[in-house]
Amino acid sequence: MLGVILNPYHLQIVSFILINIILGISIYITLSSGQLSLGNAGFMGIGAYTSALLTINFDLPIFLGIILGAVVAGVFGILIGIPALRLSGVYLAIATLGFGEVIRVIFVNWESITQGSIGLSGIPHLGRELFKSFQITGFDPDMLGLKNNQFIYLLVVLTLLLVNILLIWFFIRQNKSRVGRAFAAIKMDEKAAESMGINITYYKVLSFTQGAILAGFAGALYAHVMAYISPADFAYHRAVDILIFSIFGGSELIWGAIFGATFMTILPEALRFISDYRYMIYGVVLIAMMAFRPQGIIDVSLLNWFKKKLKIKRGGSLGIRTKKYN
Amino acid sequence: MVLELKNITKNFGGISALTDVSFQINEGEIFGLIGPNGAGKTTLFNVITNMFPPTSGEISFLGDKISGLKPHKITDKGICRTFQNIRLFSQMSVLENVLVGSHCRSKSGVLNSVLRTKAQRKEETNSLEAASELLELVGLSMFQDTIAENLAYGQQRRLEIARALASNPKLLLLDEPAAGMNETETESLFDLIKKVQKRGVTVLLIEHDMPFVMKLCDRITVLNFGKKLAEGTPTEIQNNQEVIEAYLGAEEDDEIA
Repeated sequence: MLGVILNPYHLQIVSFILINIILGISIYITLSSGQLSLGNAGFMGIGAYTSALLTINFDLPIFLGIILGAVVAGVFGILIGIPALRLSGVYLAIATLGFGEVIRVIFVNWESITQGSIGLSGIPHLGRELFKSFQITGFDPDMLGLKNNQFIYLLVVLTLLLVNILLIWFFIRQNKSRVGRAFAAIKMDEKAAESMGINITYYKVLSFTQGAILAGFAGALYAHVMAYISPADFAYHRAVDILIFSIFGGSELIWGAIFGATFMTILPEALRFISDYRYMIYGVVLIAMMAFRPQGIIDVSLLNWFKKKLKIKRGGSLGIRTKKYN
Repeated sequence: MVLELKNITKNFGGISALTDVSFQINEGEIFGLIGPNGAGKTTLFNVITNMFPPTSGEISFLGDKISGLKPHKITDKGICRTFQNIRLFSQMSVLENVLVGSHCRSKSGVLNSVLRTKAQRKEETNSLEAASELLELVGLSMFQDTIAENLAYGQQRRLEIARALASNPKLLLLDEPAAGMNETETESLFDLIKKVQKRGVTVLLIEHDMPFVMKLCDRITVLNFGKKLAEGTPTEIQNNQEVIEAYLGAEEDDEIA
């Protein structure tokens, strides 16, 4: 039964969606303190290359590699975040875009380590490694009626799903706390936030670094899901894609980034049947979006509307209402 | 003595916004700062909170030198301000605005917040209780979930005061709190500032509404063209010849005389 439903191609798309959601959250976090960064593709690349090189050259376990990838990206986040404090708005965007390009050029030219533009292949695959440890316990996917291939992709999806749930939980809690309020205050009025006793230097670097860590983490996951990376994967079009996830979905709420990443990953796949036109449609959707709903699909008032609906449902009065309209 | 300004001078390029201004504010006072437009009153607020560092001079707060400290450190020490052109966090709810005010009186970091440790939950409860009490004080309890920018103008001014009070200041700086208010609103603002004084908070305020200032303040300093013109009780200020000249012009007085 399960064997028929689970198509490796679909599972692969789901895992891309889940990685893109992490990238979407990474830009959302930076935006939540009012900083527009286009450097997240660079941080993603740092995470990906760090983890890939460590696992290929030093046989480090994948999980350690991924964590170190995120940490190294975070260190770069602090290094870039501190001088970037002097900049805001478009200036910050351009500076971080420049940073991302520098990182990409380093990957291209540092051939002895990164193999240049050919890229790194033979990166240990997250699913296969997990599968190996399952095999040791004597587990056979056939017991679930699955082929090995299906089971491997399923493992990737489930791992990423778990990671996503943990991250969303983490950032929702952070948002509802003193830290989240400080981010929001800085975003709305930096001078007033400072006057209310908020150390804006600390919180801006914190949010920038959290964004970098997340992007690096997503990059490391990407490396181990694709098993192959090249500098082109982290070029500036990726930075723009990441920004679009959050802007399209709505940058006020974490749900915006999640929705945006999901929608923007599915759209080109769903439009595969008209392959020549799909990126045109993608572009048109973006333009329409900015024209008619510049705040993004999901905003606070939409969320409140949903909450109200839910409340009515729980109260049971919705039943009466639908009867009336019937 | 709560605040002491010694020979404060502030130049912007070649323009001197403040020249050699000195005064002292005693504990528990309501101290008024008046003067014609452009006299340097708001600049003085910005210098006290170190939004702009003074060109020269020294500021001490409760005996400690505070000039040179970052603005957020100054808030932490116990000076908090409101703004002439209201600067609320416009997209936040009324309650959240006040909660941000209590930022420097709490210390939970990322980990404590995410794990909701016992200490963090206690801190949140305390902040919430303090915030509701302050909203009660300024009469905005029923609006706590309203988005700040949807409040009426006078209410926004009161919310700014509540937000500033949430930082538990010893000295509250109010920049034209009565500006744009009608008579009823001004009256209730008067009561509010008196209540704030009763809580043990010293108040320094800039205001143009003369009857309001004269009735409210214990002492007043007059600034004109960045210089201190006079200082004294409201009665002394009202009878000061130089002040009258600064506000009404000298020639008319000569004619009357």
